[in-house]
Amino acid sequence: MHISFRQNTLRDPWFIVGLGLAVIFAGITLFGPALTPFDPMDMSFAPISPPSADHMLGVNDGGQDIFSELLYAVRNTVTFGLWTALLGLVLGVVVGAIAGWSGGLVDLVLMRIADVILAVPSIMVLIFTAALFRPNPWILAVILAGLSWPTTSKAIRAQTLSLRQSLHIKAAARMGAGSTYILHRHLIPELYPLFIIGFAAKARMAMFTEASLAFLGLFDPGRKSLGMMISYALQFYYMDIWWNWLFPPILCLSLLIVSVTFLALGLEKVLDPRLRESIGGRAL
Amino acid sequence: MSLRIENLSVLYQDGDHAIQALEEVSLRLAGGRCLALVGESGSGKTTLGLACLGLLPRNALVRGTIRFRDRNLDFRDEASLNELRWSRLAMVFQHGSANLNPVHRIIDQVAEPLIQKKRLGRREALAKAADALAEMGLDFEHYKRYPHQLSGGQAQRALLAMGRILDPEVLILDEPTSALDAFNKGIVGDVIASAKTEKKAVLLITHDLEFAVHNSDDMAVLYLGQIMETLPSKDLLVRPLHPYTLALARSFPSMQTARDLGGIRGDAFYRTVHQHGRGDGDTYRHSHIQVPESIHANGHAPPTGCLFQNRCTQALDGCRHEPVILEKIDDHLVRCLRHGIADLAELRGVEKSYGAVVALHPTDLTLKCGEVFSLVGETGSGKTTLAMIQAGALNPDKGKRIFDGRDMEEWMRRDIRSLAGRIGVVYQNPAESVSHRFTVKEIVAEPLKIHQPSLGKEKIHERITRVLRDVHLSTDEAFLRRYAHELNMGAIQRVCMARALVLEPALLVADEPTSSLDPSVQAKVMKLLLELQIERGLTMLFVTHDIGLARKISDRIGIMLKGSLVELGPATKIISEPAHPYTRLLLDSACGIHSGSKLTKRERKESKGCPFVSRCPRVGEQCYRGTPVLKQGKDRHVACYSPLA
Amino acid sequence: MTSTLMHPFSKRRSQNRFGLVTAFCLTALAMVYLSHALPGFLPGDFVTAMYAGSYVTLSEEQEAELKAFYNTDETFGNYLLRLLRLDWGYSYAFLSPVSSLFFEALPWTLFLMGTAHLLSMGLGFVAGVEAAWRRNRFIERGLVGGLTVLEGVPEISTGVLLLLIFALHLGWFPAAGAETAYADFTLWGRVGDVVSHLVLPLTTLVAAYFPGNFLLARNSMMLVVTAPYVTTARAKGLPPRRVRYAHAARNALLPLVTRFGLRFAFMITGALVVERINAYPGLGTLLFNAIQARDLPVIQGVVLMSSLMVLAVILGLEVIYRMLDPRISY
Repeated sequence: MHISFRQNTLRDPWFIVGLGLAVIFAGITLFGPALTPFDPMDMSFAPISPPSADHMLGVNDGGQDIFSELLYAVRNTVTFGLWTALLGLVLGVVVGAIAGWSGGLVDLVLMRIADVILAVPSIMVLIFTAALFRPNPWILAVILAGLSWPTTSKAIRAQTLSLRQSLHIKAAARMGAGSTYILHRHLIPELYPLFIIGFAAKARMAMFTEASLAFLGLFDPGRKSLGMMISYALQFYYMDIWWNWLFPPILCLSLLIVSVTFLALGLEKVLDPRLRESIGGRAL
Repeated sequence: MSLRIENLSVLYQDGDHAIQALEEVSLRLAGGRCLALVGESGSGKTTLGLACLGLLPRNALVRGTIRFRDRNLDFRDEASLNELRWSRLAMVFQHGSANLNPVHRIIDQVAEPLIQKKRLGRREALAKAADALAEMGLDFEHYKRYPHQLSGGQAQRALLAMGRILDPEVLILDEPTSALDAFNKGIVGDVIASAKTEKKAVLLITHDLEFAVHNSDDMAVLYLGQIMETLPSKDLLVRPLHPYTLALARSFPSMQTARDLGGIRGDAFYRTVHQHGRGDGDTYRHSHIQVPESIHANGHAPPTGCLFQNRCTQALDGCRHEPVILEKIDDHLVRCLRHGIADLAELRGVEKSYGAVVALHPTDLTLKCGEVFSLVGETGSGKTTLAMIQAGALNPDKGKRIFDGRDMEEWMRRDIRSLAGRIGVVYQNPAESVSHRFTVKEIVAEPLKIHQPSLGKEKIHERITRVLRDVHLSTDEAFLRRYAHELNMGAIQRVCMARALVLEPALLVADEPTSSLDPSVQAKVMKLLLELQIERGLTMLFVTHDIGLARKISDRIGIMLKGSLVELGPATKIISEPAHPYTRLLLDSACGIHSGSKLTKRERKESKGCPFVSRCPRVGEQCYRGTPVLKQGKDRHVACYSPLA
Repeated sequence: MTSTLMHPFSKRRSQNRFGLVTAFCLTALAMVYLSHALPGFLPGDFVTAMYAGSYVTLSEEQEAELKAFYNTDETFGNYLLRLLRLDWGYSYAFLSPVSSLFFEALPWTLFLMGTAHLLSMGLGFVAGVEAAWRRNRFIERGLVGGLTVLEGVPEISTGVLLLLIFALHLGWFPAAGAETAYADFTLWGRVGDVVSHLVLPLTTLVAAYFPGNFLLARNSMMLVVTAPYVTTARAKGLPPRRVRYAHAARNALLPLVTRFGLRFAFMITGALVVERINAYPGLGTLLFNAIQARDLPVIQGVVLMSSLMVLAVILGLEVIYRMLDPRISY
């Protein structure tokens, strides 16, 4: 199935919006430290001050500049999300491809494990672990990745099973190619569409989880996060901090997740043409 | 209680393009009769079925009317259509399992119309449904099953039971036999038969010609949304009048057809109707055959004309532009500018003698466009003589020859070259029919040199290579420079065929082209001949002594004996039910059965009596008295006093 | 004969369901084991580490008791039995047995989440089915577009926004709690009070769940609508609503159930967050407070029990799916 990516995707409004936002956030992530006027850890400013010339978004209750906080928070959330998604994707693809390709006992065992992991609510495991051990966020990212690969692996496995029957793979096998060669040269490139969708979905979920965990106070207070900012700001909801302290992280978080959603949507549309309008049933 | 479809046209809209699914189709379904609608994919058959039930998608533009019980169906009135659906008009779709809801049991689905439309109680409905399923031959244990647990045949039977459950007056069957084996097809046939006895009307939509022939009374042939011919079903294999119908009949494998399968050259595409502006800015609609996904060239002329012309074996220039309408010919309706399959050549009363020996008695023969006609007989039967007379290589003593509507004598006098170019001849002995001084290239180029001397070297080379490729011969220089005696027999014969075809003739006369070849080579050459005949739409006059060989290639066969035609008719009939005893003898010999005494000495009075008396097992008094005349029988011509059929 | 036609029963099906249940029981056991084993990996002095950062100060005695309590080499078997007896430990932050805290909070969570899911599933499904059936231009652009955006907005955002607008600015709804404390209401009064407290968190959750359900239902339905058996159903002259629901939607339901099951475990995050935002006294708030207080027994108990409940829900969904789709034999 050859997909004409360019034409359809680039014209899709969802995709364009998502891409635009993604670019902005990518910029913040990469150049964050350079853009912040102050060190977000610097607590020397007057607490809970309204926005001013110096402090675009004001100062929080700990005396830190909100704008700087925001940029760092975005950075943390994005990196957490991306790394988790990447790791989860790689795991999912590897497991799914092996399961689909080998079949038999290996497939059965791997899929049972996947089913078990799927049933486990990842947030609970993360909360429990975080509450007990207060680990490095990276460890949590790894755990989250380890809990989120099953969905991708199932999709990859399904696709692998059907691709296994395809002629060019059979031809390679007949020529004497080994399994690893086929997997890596023929199979995995065929699965790129699924990769992209899987990655986008995971990134979205990971960022949301990160925000929620931070919101619940499970990260080190020194680590800036959008969720954490919202949580703190909320405690002061009766004060007039609505616009400068509470709203920006909410906006950023929403836009971030929205952008990933849109990117994923745009891509999904390309790959599932049944969802587009067709000449109502060409039953001639 | 009939269903009348009048001038129905259906267009599917897609942006600024539309696809014409049906154009001005008129049909009449009467109670107690079955009408078969045959055609290939893309012909619009399913659209017609769906239209009768008002199930066309929203983007379909419908014109014309469908009348049921003297009232027009109003496609916008969903409620009244719903009333009619299933209780009066029911449609049984193809691919049983896909048309059954996967999450409901089949008995529930069969009972559903009873419960929903007739307001029957659940128990009663289930009982009735069980009866209907039993009638279709399904066992009780299947009733509680789900569609994915049934085989294709069982699912189709369930669909049939479901279709009949409300006892509708009109039953539409859409490809009911695709992917079914003979037994299940029989069940469908029974359903049709019982519907007919109950005075219901049946519309059978199918591309299974054999099934259609056996189970329907009338047939309508659909091509790209237009009706090409309507005919009584029994005529399909015997007397098709439209070139497409003939080609269809040839393409379908059945126990009845004699010759090998042949396709139809070219491809059918969608008919796209475009709506866009011309130079002066106003929009106009025009209809043409559009290859899907190709770029539409702007500003071309709107064609009308025959839809089949690019694949037809007898298309004229006029066929491309002139409007073609359905006209009545005998009891068929035919849409052809040439009024059906035209005659290419006609021989009337031709005879030839060499001194005292009569090689050919006065004989009539008509060759139809696009057909393969085989003359079968022993040595001395006159077949070669007749063929050569037709080819213009031999002049008859008496009689008229007509080719393409023109008298051949007159033509040959005026301008023999143009006639010669229209007829190609392949002789029995290939090695002798070419000069041993000529190279392959020169052999094949010869006709071109004779008929079109002004043609440049480039063009000649191009034509030669093209025709050599068609006969599956090499086209490189080394081969072109070979001499005939350097090649094997099969290759020489193919070179001769190339020579005969290089001028793109309308008629190919082949006189025992394979008798001097080895069997395997023979087979290859025969296949090639057939292929060429289909690709180029040639009419072929094939002469042979081998009736088995004739069977593999012919549409019609003429049996010759001692200078006369004794039997003439469609190959299917002659092979399966020979009428003349001589034909029977030929067939038996071909099967290896030698009946009767081989060397009976029955005297035959000179020039009187039937030429077959000396060997005929059914010989009678009158056979000695006078030569029987070739008479038109039910579906063929026979010259016999006591024919077998 | 007809009676057996009316009640299909397959012995094989019930055997397969048994196998399914066994698989889930094993998973449950694994989870319990994990919750038992994981605390054992804590480095150093467990109790001190835990309560050191907490605002709860322990007396010598309490500390010793706790240490003994947590450092026992309690076997897994004992642990399991203890859980079954509903003895889930004691919370020093809230000074009450964990189980009682749990069962106090549980009804509110069930009430909130249950209502949210039922509403969003019901409305989402029906709306999705109708939207897919009609393919209206306006719906395509407006509704689908808007809901896609809404789907992308996380619960945190909608929750906070709703709180700020409706509770603080407009004051239409209370900002916290499930019911007004210490108030004396009649039955209807109490009902009204509970409902008004429910509205904000419920709206937030429904706003989070509805778009997904709607879009999923719509996509699923769009695929089903083109199926041949739907044309057959229409050809049968059945009433349009029956074609839409008994035939088409019924089949569109299947992928929804599957996807819902896959997403359910992730949906909990949202519920937790929303409870915290609206200070709704369910398990989410309990968990949050326990985290703040570093109260391990509560965290352990709530996490384990919630996970088991989620597991049960997923098992229920699997069973439902098998009942809905006769093509599955396993």
